[in-house]
Amino acid sequence: MSWQMPSTVDEALRLKADNPGATVIAGGTFLGILSGQGLLDNDEWISLQNISELKTLGTEGDLSVGAMVTHRRLELTPVVREDWPGLAQAFGVVASPRIRNVATIGGVLADADYASDPPSMLVASRAVAEVASVRGMRRVPIEDLIAGHYETTLADDELITRVVVPRPRGKGVYRKFRTRSREDRPTVAVAAAREDDRVRVVVGAVSDRPQHYADICAAWKPGDEDSAREIGAAYAEAIRCIGDGRGSAAYRRRVVGVEVRRVLMQVGP
Amino acid sequence: MRIELSVNGNAIEVDVEPTTMLVDVLRDHVALTGPRVTCGVGLCGTCTVLLDGEPVSSCILMAPLALGKQITTIEGIPRDDEVVSCFDRQHAFQCGFCIPGMVLTAKNMVEHGTATSREQIREGLGGNLCRCGCYTKIVDAIEEAAR
Ligand SMILES: Cc1cc2nc3c(=O)[nH]c(=O)nc-3n(C[C@H](O)[C@H](O)[C@H](O)COP(=O)(O)OP(=O)(O)OC[C@H]3O[C@@H](n4cnc5c(N)ncnc54)[C@H](O)[C@@H]3O)c2cc1C
Ligand code: FES
Ligand code: FES
Repeated sequence: MSWQMPSTVDEALRLKADNPGATVIAGGTFLGILSGQGLLDNDEWISLQNISELKTLGTEGDLSVGAMVTHRRLELTPVVREDWPGLAQAFGVVASPRIRNVATIGGVLADADYASDPPSMLVASRAVAEVASVRGMRRVPIEDLIAGHYETTLADDELITRVVVPRPRGKGVYRKFRTRSREDRPTVAVAAAREDDRVRVVVGAVSDRPQHYADICAAWKPGDEDSAREIGAAYAEAIRCIGDGRGSAAYRRRVVGVEVRRVLMQVGP
Repeated sequence: MRIELSVNGNAIEVDVEPTTMLVDVLRDHVALTGPRVTCGVGLCGTCTVLLDGEPVSSCILMAPLALGKQITTIEGIPRDDEVVSCFDRQHAFQCGFCIPGMVLTAKNMVEHGTATSREQIREGLGGNLCRCGCYTKIVDAIEEAAR
């Protein structure tokens, strides 16, 4: 078994290009479970743990988050809480502090688990991932990065290096609806980001990837309860919800309608 | 691979597979049995250790990820520690199995000033399960330690 610890992004990209089959490890919370349960058949690791450029957090202008920035830092950094409160909230309700101390923004996006919290808020906030390989760098909006259940549009030799989140133009709210215990994943995840008099509502954890309907949101009247209810009903109608151990499809559909209405009332008037 | 870890202030050299979990290194190579595996998937908190003062689940942390960090287990906490004394005084345990994780999590909350109300303490302990159901007394103990 090999465990490589490059100290620069360039070095990591070269290692990945030379050996696309090697597994990149960030915080290791997701990979730790897979490996611990014997579900990973892999013995070559590229660990990002020593790459300090991936741990930078820039808060001048847009929020610039290195791929190795932990959930906990996004939850607790005062400027993030102040200027990107919806984002700090979404990262702050993931699992327990033990997981948030280790899990990274790059890991949660590359993992693409349908039942994660941060992706819906990142999509609502128009966040863009910087994706790099030895071939160059491209910018990918989060809605185009997550393709489906545990599936991304990353190529074998690509890494997420940074996530850029524009400065909000209005209130942002994340609502996590849990049906089991405090530290569980969401049954329904609803994020809303207000942009002046418009809003972007994104619903996660109910299907294979975060769902956003610009046409439905266009009808929004800020602060109007009937409008919020209609948009909730339209989202519930539009999304093909899945059923799992956290709730059936029919139950989720009910909750989507209610939670979308609530989030809209929170970001209005 | 040979790695050198810093455990409770001591440098420890071990030869492990990269996928060996930190909890197994601590228990099987360093003979520290305070951290213990129950769920093995990061949910319950009985394997809690501090990495540079922050609680993590050592049951899902591959050992090389702890390189260069200060690892603290319950064995590294002095007997006369204030949080430990409060658990004692409040009799905040029955079998004691979950207590190493509870104490380490509590210490971090007290140090960060995030144990200011019962509600906040309960929130902070969301990922630490006690099979004996001693929650009320555990919250009492942490409340006292934070005063
Ligand atoms: C007990 C428990 C409870 C949880 N509950 C929640 C919850 O309530 N809500 C929630 O949202 N999530 C939850 N999670 C999931 C957790 O947030 C993810 O496991 C975590 O975000 C993954 O980040 P990581 O840094 O640990 O990734 P790793 O495990 O290191 O990696 C995950 C995947 O991403 C790849 N990868 C990592 N970094 C990069 C990169 N920079 N570029 C390309 N690929 C990369 C890896 O190769 C791997 O495939 C929970 C996890 C656990 C263990
Ligand atoms: S054994 Fe590690 S969290 Fe349960
Ligand atoms: S005291 Fe027995 S598990 Fe908590």
